[in-house]
Amino acid sequence: MKRQDLFELAGRNMRNARLRNALTILGIAVGVASLVATCSLGIGLQNFANRQLMRSGMFQTVFVTSRQDVRNMDENAETKPDEQPQITGETRARIAALPGVEEVAPEVRATAEVVYNGQPQFTLLAGLPQSARDEDSVEKVQGRFFSGPNADEVLLQRDFAKKLESDPANVIGKSVTIRYAERQSGEAEGSFSIERHEKAFVIVGLLDEQPFGGMRMISRARVFLPTATAEQMNLMQPADTQQLVRSTPGQKTYSMLTVRMKSAAYAEQVEDAVKKMNFSAYSYLDAARSMRRFFAVLDMFLFLFGSLALVVASLAIVNTLVMAVLERRREIGIMKAVGASDRDVQRLFFAEAATMGLIGGLLGVALGWFIGRAINFGGNVYLSHTMHLPKENLWSVPVWLGLAAVVFAVAVSVLAGLYPAARAARLDPVQSLRYE
Amino acid sequence: MSEQMIATAIEARRASRHYAMGENQVRAVDDVSFTIPAGEFAALLGPSGSGKSTLLNLLAGLDRLTSGGLSVDGHELGAMDSEALARYRRHTVGMIFQSFNLVPAMTLADNVELPLRFAEAPRAGRSERVMELLHSVGLEKRAQHKPSELSGGEQQRAAIARALVNRPRVLLADEPTGNLDTRNGQEVMTLLSELNANTGVTILMVTHDPALASRYARQQLHMADGRLIPNVEGAR
Repeated sequence: MKRQDLFELAGRNMRNARLRNALTILGIAVGVASLVATCSLGIGLQNFANRQLMRSGMFQTVFVTSRQDVRNMDENAETKPDEQPQITGETRARIAALPGVEEVAPEVRATAEVVYNGQPQFTLLAGLPQSARDEDSVEKVQGRFFSGPNADEVLLQRDFAKKLESDPANVIGKSVTIRYAERQSGEAEGSFSIERHEKAFVIVGLLDEQPFGGMRMISRARVFLPTATAEQMNLMQPADTQQLVRSTPGQKTYSMLTVRMKSAAYAEQVEDAVKKMNFSAYSYLDAARSMRRFFAVLDMFLFLFGSLALVVASLAIVNTLVMAVLERRREIGIMKAVGASDRDVQRLFFAEAATMGLIGGLLGVALGWFIGRAINFGGNVYLSHTMHLPKENLWSVPVWLGLAAVVFAVAVSVLAGLYPAARAARLDPVQSLRYE
Repeated sequence: MSEQMIATAIEARRASRHYAMGENQVRAVDDVSFTIPAGEFAALLGPSGSGKSTLLNLLAGLDRLTSGGLSVDGHELGAMDSEALARYRRHTVGMIFQSFNLVPAMTLADNVELPLRFAEAPRAGRSERVMELLHSVGLEKRAQHKPSELSGGEQQRAAIARALVNRPRVLLADEPTGNLDTRNGQEVMTLLSELNANTGVTILMVTHDPALASRYARQQLHMADGRLIPNVEGAR
């Protein structure tokens, strides 16, 4: 039988048992909808997590530390301490010259006193590199970002600004004095002195969220200034004592450098180059890999649970078609008598199953899309009202998911049609014609 | 050989169809041999349960022989697989039933078109062919009606149109007037004998009415208990 005839006959048969077929199709649609909704949630969550990590700049960042660093202290290490170099200005320049490197910045953190309107507040200060602005690492700045890498400007966390003014927005444009400890080279070799200094800054903006998605050491600081400015201030830092003991006198050393690449593609290469220089390097590529594994497992479970409803729906198809075979027994006999082969009859039932699957699949994708939207809306209401978090797209129906769901629905339906179709094809025409 | 193949429309050679019913073996058709020449109008007579319908189903390619041979228009039915039998049903034989067997959900035109769909006839020209046949049985105005909206005679005429749509060489009719009143029965019989005379299609009609057989059929076969009764008037 020609395909067009096949589907014409299938369509006619389905219209003859309209209610039953409509209910079956609805069953498939609900099944597909549940599949699409759960999978789209999985995909949405994965995208969300990816966005968070991208925002944090993690994939484009390699952290370089000296192997002498306390954190890396390993008594069984093969290299002796004196073979483990310090991170110096020269190291910094060499890393900056590596291909793909955009910016090399030290992590500057220090405790300081912020004086606003004569009121001092003791807090944590940190340097924020200029690249943070381009990479979407700092979100939702009220006001603006630093005007330049050496600007005498600061950004405050909104919570901190609340301590200064009842309406935190009022601090923008005001000036603030930062009282800090400056490290100066000592008179004797191998010594330094610490002096108290003050410096005036202009508050240019407020942050609602922690920079880098809250994933860096500096993220928890309350007051941010440009990294270059912070460096010039020679802020006394927690690791300074360690450096004093270990470093060559008179040479500026760093406890850690943050290397930012043009894209995540350079990360592995830069990491290897840094390790060859005999420094420790760490990036989040490994973390990203395990995250992908996690989402693969999560997606698989979501898919399994989502397809449960479709499995139930496929039983409805089996039921509908078995009923149809019983009901249309005589008709099948007639068709065979006027020249239908077993295969024609079988294909006719497959065509009906596939048509139900196709219509159900299309309806289901549409329904799933709406359910997904509803979940997203509800999720966002919860996020913003209960947890005071900004709106996020937790849900995503990519085109491939819609297409795959429809194909899957048709495949499951045809599979469900196997038994009824075989049963119909096997019917003895003589018996069927006698059937009333 | 080819001369004989063309001359003989139906040939049965010790054809048997037995089946088991519980412990007993039923010999529905038992060792039956006969020939029907091409273009003949033959009647198969016998009381109910004599095996007429079983023989007709065997000839229609709906049932299979237990032993012996059957050939119709040169097709050896015993040698065919189910796919070949389906092709045979499409192109070589047309079947008419006592209870018409039209598909109730389809219009007359759709019913008549149904064999064309299975025969994969080109879609162009199909509706002309359907209307031509409905016209020839006087039902062109009823083309879009459902079978339930028609009289028995009209339904049977539509069934004849359906049986003829693929231009079969042999028409098998199982009690075609059994469910019809006298007037409609006569109309159907007149139509069949006209078809036989005008198109040369071989007709084998099962009936239990000797008067009907005598009036229309030139050859008569009589069956009882699955066997052909020899030497009855008309049997050759």
